[in-house]
Amino acid sequence: MNKVASWSEDEVSLWLTDQGLQEYTEALRKYDGLALLNLTTEDFKKTPLSRVTSDGGRLLLEKIETLKIEHHMNGHTNGHMVLNHNGNVGSSAKAQRNGMANGFHKELVQIPMPEPVSPQFSPEWGKTAVALVYALCCFVFTTVVISVVHERVPPKEETPPLPDKFFDFFGRVEWAFTVCEINGMVLIVLWIIQWSLLKHKSIVARRFCFIVGTLYLYRCITMYITTLPVPGMHFKCSPKVNGDWQSQMRRVMKLIAGGGLTITGSHNMCGDYLYSGHTVMLTLTYLFMREYSPRRFWWFHWGCWSLCAVGVFCILLAHDHYTIDVVVAYFITTRLFWWYHTMANQQVLKETSQSNFFANVWWYRFFQYLESNVPAVVPRHYQKPFSWRSLHWSHVKYTRIDSD
Amino acid sequence: MAQTQLLDEQDDGQIGECHVMVTVEDRTHPQTPPTGRTHPYQDTPPFSQVDDQPKDSKLRGFRRIRKNQDYVHITMAKSSISRLPSEWWKTGIAFIWAGLNLVLTTVMITIVHDRVPDKSVSPPLPDKFFDYVPRMEWAFRVTEVIGMILVILWFIQWLSLKYRAIVGRRFFFLQGLLYMYRMVTMYITTLPVPSMHMECAPKLQNNSHEKLQRVYQLVSGAGLSITGSHRMCGDFLYSGHTVMLTLTFLFIYEYSPRSRLWTVYHVICGLLSTMGVACILLGHEHYSLDVVVAYFITSRLFYWYHTMANNQALRGSPHNYLNRVWWSFMFSFLEKNVKLSVPCTFSWPISVPSVSFKNPCRSYSKVQSSREE
Repeated sequence: MNKVASWSEDEVSLWLTDQGLQEYTEALRKYDGLALLNLTTEDFKKTPLSRVTSDGGRLLLEKIETLKIEHHMNGHTNGHMVLNHNGNVGSSAKAQRNGMANGFHKELVQIPMPEPVSPQFSPEWGKTAVALVYALCCFVFTTVVISVVHERVPPKEETPPLPDKFFDFFGRVEWAFTVCEINGMVLIVLWIIQWSLLKHKSIVARRFCFIVGTLYLYRCITMYITTLPVPGMHFKCSPKVNGDWQSQMRRVMKLIAGGGLTITGSHNMCGDYLYSGHTVMLTLTYLFMREYSPRRFWWFHWGCWSLCAVGVFCILLAHDHYTIDVVVAYFITTRLFWWYHTMANQQVLKETSQSNFFANVWWYRFFQYLESNVPAVVPRHYQKPFSWRSLHWSHVKYTRIDSD
Repeated sequence: MAQTQLLDEQDDGQIGECHVMVTVEDRTHPQTPPTGRTHPYQDTPPFSQVDDQPKDSKLRGFRRIRKNQDYVHITMAKSSISRLPSEWWKTGIAFIWAGLNLVLTTVMITIVHDRVPDKSVSPPLPDKFFDYVPRMEWAFRVTEVIGMILVILWFIQWLSLKYRAIVGRRFFFLQGLLYMYRMVTMYITTLPVPSMHMECAPKLQNNSHEKLQRVYQLVSGAGLSITGSHRMCGDFLYSGHTVMLTLTFLFIYEYSPRSRLWTVYHVICGLLSTMGVACILLGHEHYSLDVVVAYFITSRLFYWYHTMANNQALRGSPHNYLNRVWWSFMFSFLEKNVKLSVPCTFSWPISVPSVSFKNPCRSYSKVQSSREE
């Protein structure tokens, strides 16, 4: 027996006859299944039904209700909860007295079960672009401040280098700073390669740019407010230009173009001692590389750590920075990195509350903007940066490769 | 008659609504009909008004809910372990840690003093603040007076806290840690004197007896220039005065209520602290760098420690990078048994009539009363 709604007129009259309600067959001759279902007591007050009915259509309506239940039961036999289900459906009218008025049925209740969704990490390259612009602004600003501070460094004849404990123990080694810069470049190249293999590049890049930008911004402040003298007599500072802003601009451009490295010959300005930008870059690239690489690559972590440590040691060996510069730089870099990542990985710290002291930092709003849509800890997934179908990769380096 | 009434109402209840009626054994009062014709509570003596204010309101709430008889009271066994144990011995250890660091800092100042380059050899470094603002003589005295006021205020506030042991422990630990860091930064690189006005005591090259005397003098004078104990130079990066001013203000703000009356107090303390720091610079006693670095380290350390302490979720989490600091083992020693953030409760060491201090921590009272059950 198919659904009532799809019954034809013949089937309706057949059913009426079966139920012993022949008196309605003539009046309901034109009624099909749907119309039958839509019958109400109002219809029985009007002609032609009012003429044939003896009880106001009550019996017929009850039988139609029974029909509805019956068909629902036949149709939905798998696991749906049926309210007001009374077992033997074809029985008497007493079965329908269930306290629900007007035939309001609730045969099945679907309980939506949320499937556990894996957290979605949307790339949001727009936010990464904002962070990148921020970092670039901080770099340019730092360069300008270095140029300004250079004018204020007291000449080494007037103010000799300050006493420093490390310098007392270790004499100067000439080639050490070159080693440091080479280490720095190696670390940066390795980090860029690692970054390009990450799946969630955008989020990680955003974090790197933000942290680097903020560190350089802090550096601007500390460099500017108090100027330390040159750490060693070996320094050759370029002459001061004293207000000639065109040559200052040229110096700034040269410094930016050379990446701030002495190796490229772009950095012969003095005064940017507290705190050490080289230490910042070495430490930060190491921290990021360790954070976003698999845990079991211990040899990789140790290699990077030794590159970083040797680089920092060589800064001091070359007498290119005071010890205090290096120590403060290390402290600020590590604290900021851990602070940021703790905030990013705990949902509870992304909202302000009485116990969330981390929200008291000045960059909290910017942080919320960058990290509001990152729902969980960024997983360490890797993927090939480009799809190289022509090349045949026989050896899979990273096990968690996404094949999307 | 009452019985039949009861039956009727029960019958209605079963048909009209789907309620679960559970009777709990320790109920001392009989079930009342919903219309409340008889009040069983009228037999009990009236509640006292003086103390237990939140309990009183809750029982009144009980009465209201009772009429409809649709709540279930689940008795919870009172846990015998307090979640905020005092553990004064840990506070003692923290005090010893702070004391040790203070003494070591003093020894370090004495050592560093001998390495400060002479004013004629190494003139004061260029400093942006000093370029704009000339020196004022009285400024440093103002700083020290403000510092003493803030310390006294904090001490009084600390005495009146209920959980003195825990808060005191935190204060001593942070202070000791900050002074330890200061020792390191003072030692590794020595800055020259910030201004030509500074009179440094003569250097003692190898005279250890004299040095010890200086250490003793400095400790007994609490390191203040006002007491005449601090005539040594070299302890510039970073500024200990800024550390004390900032730290006392942060603690005063954190462990006091947040209501409007107390905001006035907070604002006053904040202004005092800022003025004190500004006067250090006005007196040309420290470089601007010293003050900025001191503020940064103090505030970050304070926030770091308190976030670790107040967020239980962080303690077991694998993504807790805060544990990577080297002093996290000391932190877990001190704060292992503290399971909650310390609520702001005051309790006087001497009993003062409670009329004048009726429930001062108004904003926390809801949280408090439910926690202290």
